[in-house]
Amino acid sequence: MNNSFNFSEFSRQSPKGILVIYINLIYRVIKLTWIFLFIILKDFSKISNVGANYFYLGLVSVLIFLLVRAYLIYKNFQFKIDGEEFILKQGILKKTNTSVPFYRIQNINFKQNIIQQIINVFEVSIETAGSTKSEISIKALSYDKAKALKEIISNSSSLDTKTFTELDRKPLVKISVKELFKVSLTENHLQNLFLFLALVLGFFQQIQQIADSLGRTESLDGFISESTDAVSTSFFVVFILIIILTITALISSFVRIFLIHFNLVAYLNDDSFEINQGLFTKKSIVLKKQKVQNITVSTNPIKRIIGISFITFKQAVSGKLNKKKNKLIKIVGCKKDQVATIKSSLFDFEEVEFQNKQYPDSYYKKRVYIFSFLFLIALYIGVYFLHPHLEIFYSTIITVPLFVFLIRKKLKKRFYKITDSLLLVGRGLLETHATYLEVFKVQNIKLKQTFFQKKSNVADIILQTASGKITIPCLQYNEAIKIYNHALYKVEISKKSWM
Amino acid sequence: MENFKNDVVLELPNITEIAFTKVDKNYFKVICINFLLFFIPLLVVLIVLHHFVISEEFLGKTTFIYIAFFLFFEYIFLHLFLGFPKRKYAVREKDISYTSGLFIKKMTTVPFSRIQHVEIDEKPVSRLFDLAALSVYTAGDSSDDLEIKGIKKETAQQIKEFISTKINE
Repeated sequence: MNNSFNFSEFSRQSPKGILVIYINLIYRVIKLTWIFLFIILKDFSKISNVGANYFYLGLVSVLIFLLVRAYLIYKNFQFKIDGEEFILKQGILKKTNTSVPFYRIQNINFKQNIIQQIINVFEVSIETAGSTKSEISIKALSYDKAKALKEIISNSSSLDTKTFTELDRKPLVKISVKELFKVSLTENHLQNLFLFLALVLGFFQQIQQIADSLGRTESLDGFISESTDAVSTSFFVVFILIIILTITALISSFVRIFLIHFNLVAYLNDDSFEINQGLFTKKSIVLKKQKVQNITVSTNPIKRIIGISFITFKQAVSGKLNKKKNKLIKIVGCKKDQVATIKSSLFDFEEVEFQNKQYPDSYYKKRVYIFSFLFLIALYIGVYFLHPHLEIFYSTIITVPLFVFLIRKKLKKRFYKITDSLLLVGRGLLETHATYLEVFKVQNIKLKQTFFQKKSNVADIILQTASGKITIPCLQYNEAIKIYNHALYKVEISKKSWM
Repeated sequence: MENFKNDVVLELPNITEIAFTKVDKNYFKVICINFLLFFIPLLVVLIVLHHFVISEEFLGKTTFIYIAFFLFFEYIFLHLFLGFPKRKYAVREKDISYTSGLFIKKMTTVPFSRIQHVEIDEKPVSRLFDLAALSVYTAGDSSDDLEIKGIKKETAQQIKEFISTKINE
């Protein structure tokens, strides 16, 4: 073990950190002001010489100010380890002193964005659960120092991570570029398209807001109404649009997958998973098995043909919903045996696999059909009011069978299996998700029964975990009570820590 | 953990067989006062609108608007009134449960071993009747945790003590 670093005294990060902080600050300023910069640069030729000089002067002074700020941030950022606590001092004017006891630390992750890769330093982020405080991140540490820090924290914490031998470890999952290509190709492109469109929409809204304040709305509105007219008149344009959307969807899938999951390597250790991935920003995550709340194995029809699925690990979230995204850890492109290895390393899943699938009561079927068709009817009424032509109802020839098809898919995928210690809940529409939850990790449990459900003697069960809830809809009342009692019993006799 | 035994039990403790306690009767008064505090200002606003903001279109429909307004609040009040006896709670050796709801019946149980902290709230109106609300929080989504409104402050205190000793065991 390399512990030539003394952490008992306050120390600063690597001096290279100034550069990392500086670029980060510049990036943040650009992100805030890019629209103004864009407007200025667009009309830059029209600005007089004197004006341009002022602009340069302003730019230079901002850059110098940021450099000074970066230096001061670096200078005032100090950390040490005192006993069983990690202590951090930071702040230029407003000094903050943070101390994190080791047992509260959930993860220690290494990260490298492109600049950190170039100057060869690591960003170390310390994740804590249960506190609403944002995680601590040290922007620049040399590899040796980062490693030493991690070893100290993980060794003295009550949940020992064994120091793994670096050399002869065989990765559990390793995704080559070719495999990643396959993964991207079989992604849910529709979902990626929506994500992309949402991003673009947000972007346009920002532009429009600025344009509004500058009084240029008319030209923009004119542009939009012109183009919508064109869309409704020309079939050709619609056709082109569909092709463009398809290509955008494909590209956005590829970009997303390659950015996040490039060079994915996952290792299985005694009590944790280690996952390394990322193209520009390399991330290395250590995930303690004990802290995994539940896992979801997902696949879709195309992925199933080539035999891959992806696994989502859920860790405890600290109350705030927006942090949830960070706590989702995904391994894409897993083969069947790899999925089985991961599952068996977490819990004993054999028994649950062999059980018969239990389906919700037929009440659920009725409910889904009724709600879906009410939605469809409302949709048609809405469209009819906007566009009063009876022709639109011809489209029911396609939409009704499509709805029925989707509902049947949804119903077929909604199942659950429960054994003594494990709960498996399946759901999905086009994709198939199977969530595995160890029963004793439940936080609280709820039974919900509407007036209509009571008449049919069914009820919903909602299991609240530290990483979101899991619902089993419309069970026979007796069955629901049985699960309710069983889950409570399991939680109350369990002596194991849930995280 | 190795010597931990887990024998098969034939009969699990059944949640439906425990005796639930209704919340304090006085709490209905609190509900009524809160209801009036909400209802009366709205009624005043409506009357003021009726008498001072005279508009031709509005005048023709006054009766209709008043009837709709009263019907809506009557419905809410009836819902509160009929729903009140459904608010029940129970404390067992190892967990705490709360059930409520007229049209949508809900029952929540939180095992003591998962409780992060317990809180007692006393709202101004409740304090007049010496009542309090007891909330328990787990690591899950806090909006879905358990809150028992309208129990005697003393009872709330006792339950809190009980849970605290159980957690520390």
